[in-house]
Amino acid sequence: MSGTDIAFFLLALAAIAGAVMMLQLTNVVHMVLSLVMTFLAIAGLYVLLSAEFVAVVQVLIYSGAITIIMLFAIMLTRHHADDKERQTTGGVGHKAAAAFAVLAFGLAVYAGIRTLDFGADGSALPADNAKAIGQWLYSYYTIPFEIVSVLLLVALIGAIVLAKKDGKGAEDE
Amino acid sequence: MSNIYANSYAIVFVFLCLGVLLPVGALTLGRWLRPHVPSEAKETTYESGNNPFHDSRIQFQVRYYLFALLFVIFDVETVFFYPWAVVYDQLGLFAFVEMVLFITLLALGLIYAWKKKVLRWM
Repeated sequence: MSGTDIAFFLLALAAIAGAVMMLQLTNVVHMVLSLVMTFLAIAGLYVLLSAEFVAVVQVLIYSGAITIIMLFAIMLTRHHADDKERQTTGGVGHKAAAAFAVLAFGLAVYAGIRTLDFGADGSALPADNAKAIGQWLYSYYTIPFEIVSVLLLVALIGAIVLAKKDGKGAEDE
Repeated sequence: MSNIYANSYAIVFVFLCLGVLLPVGALTLGRWLRPHVPSEAKETTYESGNNPFHDSRIQFQVRYYLFALLFVIFDVETVFFYPWAVVYDQLGLFAFVEMVLFITLLALGLIYAWKKKVLRWM
């Protein structure tokens, strides 16, 4: 077992642990933080796959920006983290059914990926990730790149239209 | 090749460990050194001399959400800048024009937000 394998197992464990913790915790802010743990672990997995640029983007966008969005959304909504209000859902039957479904899903995935052939291992590892991406993006995929800016513009204006009240009513508040 | 790659990330891992251990170590050391005499007055939240009242987490205005959204959108823009800057030497003017178009469109969005008074902190 090489160091890369150990790193993979640790990171995979961290990713799954973060996801399970997110489902288990009761405080919404703690949930977001455990989600950040999953995001960072996945960034580590990208590094192991030698996709460095994607890893940095994962840290920048997901554990940075998306988390901020979620924290803001939490601040904007009314919520009670009281344990009293928590309700357990489902009896023994539901839980058994859920366990069966999880087991069946796991077995199906295992059966599916056990003999799956991903083709030859990727050729030489691209040493300069960002450079390769840049060369493709700004010479071959020019139009999609410009459309991305239109998409971002639409997202920006759409968000403003939805969240900002127009006209006189907005001034009075 | 793959060995060099993995080994160079070993240093990143060492830095990660240092970054985690430093605050943990410093705070633990502080806990050992300082006296620990809690009283009710000490445990109240410090709010610049005012007495704290009700829950610290209140419901915020929706308009603050726009700051978060603006941040995300310009964060995504940054992601596109990085590979552009790396290959700028090779692609030259064409890449420059591309990026100017990209920035112009996003600047339109920013001007729209400005005109709509989204940027005003109320």
